[in-house]
Amino acid sequence: MLYIHRTSCISPQPRLVGGEEASVLAGGEGRGTAAGPVNGVYRVVEPGYPGIPPNTLRRMSKAVRLGVGAAMPLIRQERIDGILIGTGNGGMEESVKFLRQIVDYAEGMLAPGNFVQGIPNAIASQIGLSGHLRGYNSTYIHRGLGFEHALIDASMLISEHPGTRYLVGGVDEVSGYHYRIELADGWYKTTVTPGLSLYDYDSPGSIAGEGAALFLVSGESADAVAAIKGIETFHGTDQHVVVTRLRAFLARHLPAGSQPGQQLSGSPALYLSGENGDNRALPFYSACAAVLDPAVPVVRYKHLCGEYPTASAFAVWLALQFVPPQPLPQHILFYNNHKLTQHSFILLERFR
Amino acid sequence: METAQLKERLKAQIIEFLNLSSTTPADIADDQPLFGEGLGLDSIDSLELIVLLNREYGIVIKDPKEGRKVLVDVNTMVDYITQHRTK
Amino acid sequence: MGVISAIGDSLAANRKALVRKESGIGYSGPANSRYVGVIPFGSVTFSNAELMEHTGIYDAGVSRTTLLAAHAFRQAIQDAGLLLSEATSGGAASGCTTLLTATDTALIGATTVGGMCLTDELYRDTNGGAQGSGYLASYDGASVQQYLQNRYGLSGLVTTINTACSSSANAIQYGGRLIRNGLVRRAIVGGVDSLAKYTINGFNALQILAPAACKPFDEHRQGLNLGEGAGFLVLEREEDLAGKKVYAELRGSCNVNDAYHASSLSPNGEGPFLAMQGALRSAGLDASAIGYINAHGTGTENNDASESQAMIRIFGTPPAFASTKSSTGHTLGASGAIEAIYSILDLFYQEAYPSVNFSTPMPETGLRPLTEFQPMKLEHVLSNSFGFGGNCTSLVFSVAPAGLAKVI
Repeated sequence: MLYIHRTSCISPQPRLVGGEEASVLAGGEGRGTAAGPVNGVYRVVEPGYPGIPPNTLRRMSKAVRLGVGAAMPLIRQERIDGILIGTGNGGMEESVKFLRQIVDYAEGMLAPGNFVQGIPNAIASQIGLSGHLRGYNSTYIHRGLGFEHALIDASMLISEHPGTRYLVGGVDEVSGYHYRIELADGWYKTTVTPGLSLYDYDSPGSIAGEGAALFLVSGESADAVAAIKGIETFHGTDQHVVVTRLRAFLARHLPAGSQPGQQLSGSPALYLSGENGDNRALPFYSACAAVLDPAVPVVRYKHLCGEYPTASAFAVWLALQFVPPQPLPQHILFYNNHKLTQHSFILLERFR
Repeated sequence: METAQLKERLKAQIIEFLNLSSTTPADIADDQPLFGEGLGLDSIDSLELIVLLNREYGIVIKDPKEGRKVLVDVNTMVDYITQHRTK
Repeated sequence: MGVISAIGDSLAANRKALVRKESGIGYSGPANSRYVGVIPFGSVTFSNAELMEHTGIYDAGVSRTTLLAAHAFRQAIQDAGLLLSEATSGGAASGCTTLLTATDTALIGATTVGGMCLTDELYRDTNGGAQGSGYLASYDGASVQQYLQNRYGLSGLVTTINTACSSSANAIQYGGRLIRNGLVRRAIVGGVDSLAKYTINGFNALQILAPAACKPFDEHRQGLNLGEGAGFLVLEREEDLAGKKVYAELRGSCNVNDAYHASSLSPNGEGPFLAMQGALRSAGLDASAIGYINAHGTGTENNDASESQAMIRIFGTPPAFASTKSSTGHTLGASGAIEAIYSILDLFYQEAYPSVNFSTPMPETGLRPLTEFQPMKLEHVLSNSFGFGGNCTSLVFSVAPAGLAKVI
């Protein structure tokens, strides 16, 4: 069992700190408190990074800054036995800067900094460098399933090495270059108004976002705020398969009668849906909602962080920080669909 | 170009090229070691400085070992530029 | 298993070249780079058109990286008999499902280049036009596994790892652990990378490309030769092996981080030391049990010095070791898998492959890799993969359990 002890997040919602939370999420209210997209993109407002020496900070790609910045509060005074990061487009901006050098200088003498910082595993490795952490270190780049695989790997590590603790997270950056590719490939709308109206569009495409959400996990329940009870990842375009898999997932992890007051067997208390305004993805999300007890509230979050490969990490952070925790224990189901073909379920049990 | 002017120009170029955004030219003494305890640059920076010398002054340093002799401090760099620049 | 590299497009071809101490390092490479013909590379001798013919893949938007992966992947799944249906192979009868498409079969891939071999197209696409090339979805590392998943109808767990040069070693250990932890029943694991203008220039900017054929562990080494290729292995549980061809056992693994610098290893080889030590521990073996090491041995001043120090710290006097990168070049994301395959062939055929181009040991260590092919009685082999970002992974392979290995 994967227990979550602490969380940290840098997102496009800097004002999402204690207090203003519930209004942002409760079914539609609180639009005014959420930061909207700027020029069609949900960008992180970067903090000052006081914990990172300027000499180190200067060279980092945005994804590395976000990852290290979010990691700092978690690795201070903690024994960490490994770092597992999911990223879909981390380092892309630096990579393309290097690409521009190749073209501009016709493969002549090139400065290597962009190349080194553009590699996706620079996030996990720089966190390791910052914390002098020599343990397990891995990076998953399978688009919308990178964060989930970091969680799966951490759950195995905990089982193999009792008593160990890991930093697990999802980090992605919006880069101008990558944005153009995704836009040309039809993944973004060109104009969107801020907030919940994202979900009112009946058109393809979502809106780009970015962020870093990290979690300190272990196999010990003491001091844990929640546990990941189940994770499933799969590929496909058939809605019926998604529904069948969801039913089986819930039956496996939430058998009938296991929930106080649940009306339907296998229903969580809350469904965090990765709906993103793309009308091609909506049928999948609706089909999953239809599997659940109609009384289960549906909470959407991509109007706060935008769409990016590891947005499910933001969702888990958001749920732990800002969903009113009653009654306990509270089971929260996450379903995310990435680019129509990648699917993931996460079941979280919250204790506090 | 006067040596003093070249030193100032070089310091500004180093700051920009290596993205030392919290440093000003006044912070870099002419004889302050670039690596180790001084400015705290590392091996990637030394490769980047070699590229800087190439792009701004047309200098080609092929051997990193030769580079280490040149990239000691601003003084040694300016001496080398003065002798070898082609731009 | 399945493999393609500069020394051949099959297990048999690769083995033949290794036995004959042949190197695939030469002067061909991607046509769009000015360094081709100037510095050596370990390129796969087949053009993209030829790879398409071999794999039967003519879809638009497929990069060379994906073609190389598909080539090795197909070989591996055929070699492992995964195209048999579950019913005929004794598994749960589910009609037309094969072992390959079963929900408990995973694909764990790895790549560092992905579709970035399409360097020129990427440049154009990042700069503009609403249209875009046909490669928009092909640039990232995941595109390779996504393509395989889609083409072969894989319904199990699929993912992609990128930890630089240790990527496919990590794919192997992740797949092995998924099986050991009961999350999947079998795993196709491996990695791929193709020669790309992007990577050539990246390594050149770091000044670690050798001007001539690389010389791993030699005093006068001047850097690495980039290579390309792909390797896939099929991992299965012991209880599922009856009647199957078994090459070896993945006995242990360890992943650690050197935590010293973004692109170089610590002088005392701390990361490599911890990786090898951890792998031995996880295998339940003493250092003396290792008969041969397939070293990471890129030929760079830094890696070979660091790895040598680590080997001395662990072994005192290291066993026979060599770097097959002197034959294939450094295949980056594929190197962990390709070299794991060579390590397994060492065990299966009871032989040891040499390093090419070695003449003078490093004065600080005096270590000499194996320089001639020889038959060798081996029980356990260690394979090392150390990458940028300090990502160090070591794998231990052992002779297959008695009674299970079949001569092929």
